[in-house]
Amino acid sequence: MTLKMTPKAVIIGSLAILATITFLMVYWPYATRDETPSNIFRFRSPEEAAGRDIYIANGCVYCHSQSIRTIDWGHGAERIAQAGDYVGDRPILLGSERTGVDLSQEGGEHPDDWHIAHFVNPRYTRPNSIMPLFAFLGEKNLHTLTRYVQGLGFKEADHRMQRQLYWKQEAIKAYESGPVANVKWLADHVPAGWRQVPNPYPTTEAGLARGHMIYQQFCLGCHGPIGDGMGPAQPYLYPPPLNFTILHGREISGGILYYQIMNGITGTAMPYFKRELESQKIWEVGNYVAVYFINQSDANQEPRGIDSSWEP
Amino acid sequence: MDSSATSATLTNRTARAFCLTSAGWMVMATLMGLAGATELIAPDLSHNIGWLVFGRVRPIHVNLVLFGFVTPGLLASAFYFLPRLLQTEIYSERLGLITVWLWNITLLAAVISLASGFSQGREYAELIWPVDLLVVACFGLVCYNLFMTVKRRREPLLYVSVWYVCAAVILTSVTYCIGNVIWQPNSGALVGIPDAIILWFYGHNIFGLLLTPLAIAVAYYVIPTAIRSPLYSHTLSLIGFWSLLVVYTHIGTHHLLQVPVPTWLKVIAIVDSIAMVIPVMVFLINIWYTAKGKLGEIHADIGAKFVFTGTIMYFFVSIQGSIMALPQVQRVTHFNNWVVGHAHIGVLGFAAMIALGGLYFIIPRITGRPLYSRFLADLQYWLVLIGVVGFTVVLTTVGLIQGNAWLNGETVYRVLPEIHLYYVLRASLGFLIFSSAIIGFYNIIRSLLSQSGAKA
Repeated sequence: MTLKMTPKAVIIGSLAILATITFLMVYWPYATRDETPSNIFRFRSPEEAAGRDIYIANGCVYCHSQSIRTIDWGHGAERIAQAGDYVGDRPILLGSERTGVDLSQEGGEHPDDWHIAHFVNPRYTRPNSIMPLFAFLGEKNLHTLTRYVQGLGFKEADHRMQRQLYWKQEAIKAYESGPVANVKWLADHVPAGWRQVPNPYPTTEAGLARGHMIYQQFCLGCHGPIGDGMGPAQPYLYPPPLNFTILHGREISGGILYYQIMNGITGTAMPYFKRELESQKIWEVGNYVAVYFINQSDANQEPRGIDSSWEP
Repeated sequence: MDSSATSATLTNRTARAFCLTSAGWMVMATLMGLAGATELIAPDLSHNIGWLVFGRVRPIHVNLVLFGFVTPGLLASAFYFLPRLLQTEIYSERLGLITVWLWNITLLAAVISLASGFSQGREYAELIWPVDLLVVACFGLVCYNLFMTVKRRREPLLYVSVWYVCAAVILTSVTYCIGNVIWQPNSGALVGIPDAIILWFYGHNIFGLLLTPLAIAVAYYVIPTAIRSPLYSHTLSLIGFWSLLVVYTHIGTHHLLQVPVPTWLKVIAIVDSIAMVIPVMVFLINIWYTAKGKLGEIHADIGAKFVFTGTIMYFFVSIQGSIMALPQVQRVTHFNNWVVGHAHIGVLGFAAMIALGGLYFIIPRITGRPLYSRFLADLQYWLVLIGVVGFTVVLTTVGLIQGNAWLNGETVYRVLPEIHLYYVLRASLGFLIFSSAIIGFYNIIRSLLSQSGAKA
């Protein structure tokens, strides 16, 4: 080896290598970048941009990615991220870890009041969440932050938000017309087939225990530990969470409960759980609600067809 | 390579000041890590105290580890061994002390700004523009002082450690400016996908062009000195140095394999990530062959023991890193705690182990007395080692649970209860590391500042 390592060789040599590689790996992709917006892209409103600043200041990016991949199943997975989604982002907030959910398509997944309750204490709406409390930001900032979150997904978020706002008005109308009309309104929106589908899970002790566990992890924050709709999130939500104890004698079948848990009630804080919970879990949390709070269950009634082999 | 004639006249004031800086900020940096880990198991802990929320604590932890604990620790050794390798004094110890003061002011500004919610929101490049300027000024002063020292050397040949230190400080001065998009004071960012590319180019260079070359420089000094043997191969030193600079700078995009960035960029990043085996193994073969048959002497010197352990961690983290760059592996490992585990083996297991080793190696030689307590130094060694190995096991396990559950269609929320216990273990291990930082701080203060050393 005859290469002489003089100070000049070390410093000029290192800088030359860095300059070359910076040109190739940073400048070239920059120079050839495609700034074409994707089909869902739109610019952010000033309020959404202000909300984004709050998001950055509090380090939300360390737990929430905004980068949907082809292998993802969680919410937002219907729209894989494209380079054109990010053409307005300075800085880009892809994130590097998913301690919480990806937020690329968060806009319109929930109504505004759900988000406020969630920011005040994330465990109000999501009992297992490990997100910090953000009530310290103050009401004004929480609303600004909510505008940003509700715009994530751009045009698709706007579409979902319109649907939220429409059904929120309908749900409020139904709620304000009294419990009887409200329960009827809710049940009438369940397709007939679902209302009559036989409930296939028996209310065994083990099944109710499993339902109890699901209830605690997903439902408790709004509907409360005794199912009266007085969970800690209740003061923030309108229309308020349903009080299950008024449902006795109102022909609430297991199929109705199943459908409402599966699909949620858009416009209200009731989310859909069909991504989160598989079939058995939905039936069994429905059975738990029916047995303990409504005190009326159609579980495992005739006709049952051929009993499945594990049935008691 | 050590000349007692010059050693006796050296004051090492800058090296001492960097020792104290590193040991002090290690306490704060690990405390922030422990706070973050605890919030993941007790999320109400920050109860509406804004500066304590996880999203603010995490960047404080990361920036303090990188720029408060590990970099000053490695620079302390550099300011110690450069005069000895170059047979001269540091160009200006006074300028060195001013640099250390400015460095500490910068760190304080970083903590206060991040805690108050002033962040540019880009990982490893969070610091706002005025603090960025302070960081660049610190590196600029270090560059100037060290290059002038090199210029005034009396030893014509530059030892390999000198190459690495010079390259590290000048290249980091440059990549810090590039990565922080310093020509955009308000945002410190580009727009869209190019911002992600430049960010991870920089993010990876913090390891590749700062921590790794500085740590390698310390290892190249400490191991041969401790065992009083020449380096195994000058040729391997050369290959290792130039290949590190060429290969490491290519691989930042392996953070973006699942993101819509140009495919050719991903291909280069993956290929060079595998090629990282070359600079890594060339260095390790060189240092391990140098140490061959002399592990007893390494074991006898607590500083060398830390450093040698750091080289073993370098092996693990680098091979793991090459494997993690494979797209099929990333399907499971990306976005979860596997990567956090990887980062801790690299920064704590490799770079920080060597930084601490450097401190314990140079302090007795600076003071002319044994360490205040060899026992406490050994205790810190074991606490850090158990901590980092524990992190590796726990976080890798969590990563596999998360990654496989997500691939299986479970949502992030569903997986939270499954990993809670591991988060408890992680915080417990974090407590070990925080305890070790307090022990180390005490030991280093007593060793450097008290007049009477323990009798050997």
